[in-house]
Amino acid sequence: MGAQALAHQAPPPLLDDIEEVLITEQQIRDRIAELGTQISADYAGKDPLLIGVLRGVFIFMADLVRAIAIPIEVDFIGITRYGPSTQTQGIVRLTKDLEINMQQRHVLFVEDIIDTGLSLRYILNTLQARQPASLRICTLFNKPRKRLFELDIAYTGFELPDRFVVGYGLDYEEGYRNLPFVGVLQEEAITRRRLPPNTQT
Amino acid sequence: MVDDREVPKVRKPEPIPNPKRIDEGPRNFSHPAERAFAAVLDFYRIHWEYEPTTFPLEWDSEGNITAAFSPDFYLIEEDLYVELTTMKQRLVTQKNRKLRQLHELYPDVKCKLMYRKDVENLAIKYGLFEEPTTASEVSD
Repeated sequence: MGAQALAHQAPPPLLDDIEEVLITEQQIRDRIAELGTQISADYAGKDPLLIGVLRGVFIFMADLVRAIAIPIEVDFIGITRYGPSTQTQGIVRLTKDLEINMQQRHVLFVEDIIDTGLSLRYILNTLQARQPASLRICTLFNKPRKRLFELDIAYTGFELPDRFVVGYGLDYEEGYRNLPFVGVLQEEAITRRRLPPNTQT
Repeated sequence: MVDDREVPKVRKPEPIPNPKRIDEGPRNFSHPAERAFAAVLDFYRIHWEYEPTTFPLEWDSEGNITAAFSPDFYLIEEDLYVELTTMKQRLVTQKNRKLRQLHELYPDVKCKLMYRKDVENLAIKYGLFEEPTTASEVSD
């Protein structure tokens, strides 16, 4: 589906940077409803704690928890991400810790996207050390071909092709998260954003 | 009657450990992509070694190694080798063949090949390269 066909659903300047819509807003909504139903059944009576890592997951988490029909709690962690500004600043660390004690809780770790698994490996090691009763993974988007580490993912929304996508929480340099669908970012937009501000045309 | 025909000396596939570096100076990576990938691994506290092992793949009739494969990285805790390639897809055939041979001769060895597109997407995601993502072609 062409990006312009969804012009009523997203800010036009963002649409100009989208080459192709891969997953529509309706498809996302339908799949999250299915995930919510499945999680509600699997965790009935367990009062699960859903944990997400900021920031990309906030949109998916907001929709997912509303699709779950059993009592739950929600918490978030933050970690430093590798990038141009962190290349010389050592190693990954927590920037925001949990506020809810997860010991002996049934924890569902919620991700927006899993590709290499690099950051998730660190997060899972950190969470596992806190002795949850169980720890499982739910991701809306999965890129298994890019995985470096074997991961057991309990719930997957969509498998994505090996293309650079944005929208529905997925960003490129903090932009495009607010697109209601998932689309492929144009090469030109990647190049433009990679240039320092004073060299952009 | 004893068959005295000469039997080709084909050696059993056996990995060859490469000499470990003992100094802590900067490594001489073959490509900026390797240096960038190593920095990402360090950031995520993943212990790695650079080209620690050579896997012989082919031998001549004398048993001499004629083809071998030395994956770029070994991720210690994962027991996983990773080979990066920034070559264009049409030039990757030879590397794919080596990887197939590796899996056939050393079925217990886990090795992941990251293709040019994988490396480019890592570069986009993490802002890795000092140079444009269309990195120059390299061969091993």
